[in-house]
Amino acid sequence: MLIETRNLSYVYMPGTPFQVEALKDITIGIEKGSFVGIIGETGSGKSTLVQHFNGLLKPTSGEVLVDGKNIWSQNYDLRALRSRIALLFQFPEHQLFEETVFKDVAFGPRNLGLEGEELALRVRMGLELMGLNYEAYRNRSPFTLSGGEKRRVALAGILAMQPEAIILDEPTAGMDPLGRRNLLQLIERLHREENLTIILVTHNMEEIARLADRLLVFFRGEIVLQGTPGDVFASAEQLRQIGLDVPPLTQLLQELRRRGKNICTDHFTAEDVAAEILCLLRGEDRL
Amino acid sequence: MSMRSITLGHYIPGNSPLHQLDPRVKLISLFILIAALFFIKTFCGLILFTFFIVAVFISSRLPKKYFFRGLKPIFYIVLFTLILHFFFTKGGEVYWRLGALTVEEAGVFLGTFMTLRLILLVITTLLVTLTTSPVAFADGIEYLLRPLRPLGVPGYEIAMMMTIALRFIPTLMEESDKIRKAQMARGADFESGNIFRRARNLIPLLVPLFVSAFRRADELAVAMEARCYRGGEKRTKMRELQTKPLDYVGILTAGGICLAILLTGI
Repeated sequence: MLIETRNLSYVYMPGTPFQVEALKDITIGIEKGSFVGIIGETGSGKSTLVQHFNGLLKPTSGEVLVDGKNIWSQNYDLRALRSRIALLFQFPEHQLFEETVFKDVAFGPRNLGLEGEELALRVRMGLELMGLNYEAYRNRSPFTLSGGEKRRVALAGILAMQPEAIILDEPTAGMDPLGRRNLLQLIERLHREENLTIILVTHNMEEIARLADRLLVFFRGEIVLQGTPGDVFASAEQLRQIGLDVPPLTQLLQELRRRGKNICTDHFTAEDVAAEILCLLRGEDRL
Repeated sequence: MSMRSITLGHYIPGNSPLHQLDPRVKLISLFILIAALFFIKTFCGLILFTFFIVAVFISSRLPKKYFFRGLKPIFYIVLFTLILHFFFTKGGEVYWRLGALTVEEAGVFLGTFMTLRLILLVITTLLVTLTTSPVAFADGIEYLLRPLRPLGVPGYEIAMMMTIALRFIPTLMEESDKIRKAQMARGADFESGNIFRRARNLIPLLVPLFVSAFRRADELAVAMEARCYRGGEKRTKMRELQTKPLDYVGILTAGGICLAILLTGI
C-alpha cells in the first residue's frame, strides 16, 4: 500500500468562529500503480484530502502513512516525501516564476540537489514526456506561452522530479476539448508506460470513468461511495442526491436496461457503448 | 496555518448592539474614546475606563478566546514599553538596584500606567474593527471625509481603494498559501537557512503572487469599466447609512465619558 490514511480528520481554523470541519474520519488506502479518481461537489474535501498525502497539511487527528510509515513521526523527511509523491494544484500555470522554461522545470530537481548534466537530462525528460520539444521551449519565457503550454510546463516541472505518484487537482479545468484530450492522453500514458500511481481529482465524470480503476466519492468531508467506476456509477440515484451525475453514455445504457433490455451498463467509452448496443441489436435481429 | 495568524481586526459577523451601530458613529466614538484615554491622568480613571470597556465587550458578544488571541501581536510592544519605563524612567523611591541599573517609583508608575493605556487603546480599537464589516467601515470613512472634499481630499476614491484593498486581503492570502504549497510540493524550502537565503527562497513565492495580483487588478478594472463605474459626486448607494436612536446613545456615551474625564480631571 503506497498511501494510507487512518481516521483522518481535518479542521480549518480551529477555535475561531470561522472553523470548518473539512474531513471527517477518513480511512482509505491507495495502492502502488493504481489510478484513483476522487470526485465530489465543490467544497466536499477532495483537495484537502490530497494535500495530506504529501504532508502539505497536518491532520487535526488521525494518521497518514506512506509505505507503512507515519509521515508525521519525528525525523520523517517530508521534503523527500514530496519528491516521491508529487502534487499539482489546480491552475498550476500560476506557480511558474522563472525567466525560462528550463529554469522553471529545473526548480524541482534542483531542490533535490541535482545539477549540471543530470539536471538538464531531467528537464529534457520532463518536457518531452509532456510532448514539448526541449530545444524549442527551453529558452522561452513561461509567461509568453499559451495556457495549455503553461500547464504542460508546470506538469513537466513535477515529472522532472521523477516521482512515484502524481496527484492532480483538476488538471483539465478551463481547457478546451482538444487540450483536455491531449493532457488526459499524456496522463494515461504516464500511468501505463511509466507505471506512475495517479490520483486525479475532478468534476468530469466522463473522463474519470474511463481512466480510473478506483473511485472515491466525497460528500461534505466524508467518503460516501467507493469502488470501481462500474460499482460507483451503478448508484446513479445516490450520486444525483449529492450533486454529481453519471456519464451520459452510461446513463444511456442504464436507461436501456431500465426499459427491459438485457445489457451491461459497465461501459464508459463511446466505442464500448457502441459495441454493446450493436451487440444488443444483433441479438434482437437473431430473434 | 498562515490564515490562523491573521486574526487581528478580522470582522466577526453578529447582531449585538455594537454590530448594529452606524459605522460613522463607531468611528467618531472611537476617536473620542481614544482622545479620552489620553486625557486620563490617574489610575482611578483608567480603572473606570476599563469597567466601561469590559461592559461594551460583554454587550458585543464577541467570542472571548478569539478576541484575546487577537491581542497577542501587541504582547511584545507592551513588554518593551514596560521594561523601558521600569529601567529608564527615574524619580522617587528606589525599589531595586543592580549596579547602575535601578528601578524607581516613577518608572513603575509610568510603566504600568502606559501599559494599561496601550492595552485599552488596542482593545477599544479592536472592539470597533471586529464588529464593523469592511464595507461599512469604508462607507463611514467616506462620509466622514466629505467635509474635506473642497480641500481636495478624494473621499470617494479613498473609500473605494480601502474597500478593494480589504476585499482582496483574504483572496491574496489564500493565493499565497496555495502558491507556497505548490512550491513546497516541488521541494522549495521556506523555513531554513539564514536571512539572505530565506529572502532568496521567497522569489518562487513572490513572482507568481505579483503576477496574479496584477492579473486580478486588471480583471477588476475591466469588470468595473464594464459596469460603467464612475466614482464621485453623483454615485448612489444600495444601502444608505441611517442613524437610529441607538446611535445617539452611542455617541452621547462616548462624548459624556470624554467630558467627564476632562471636567473631573481623573
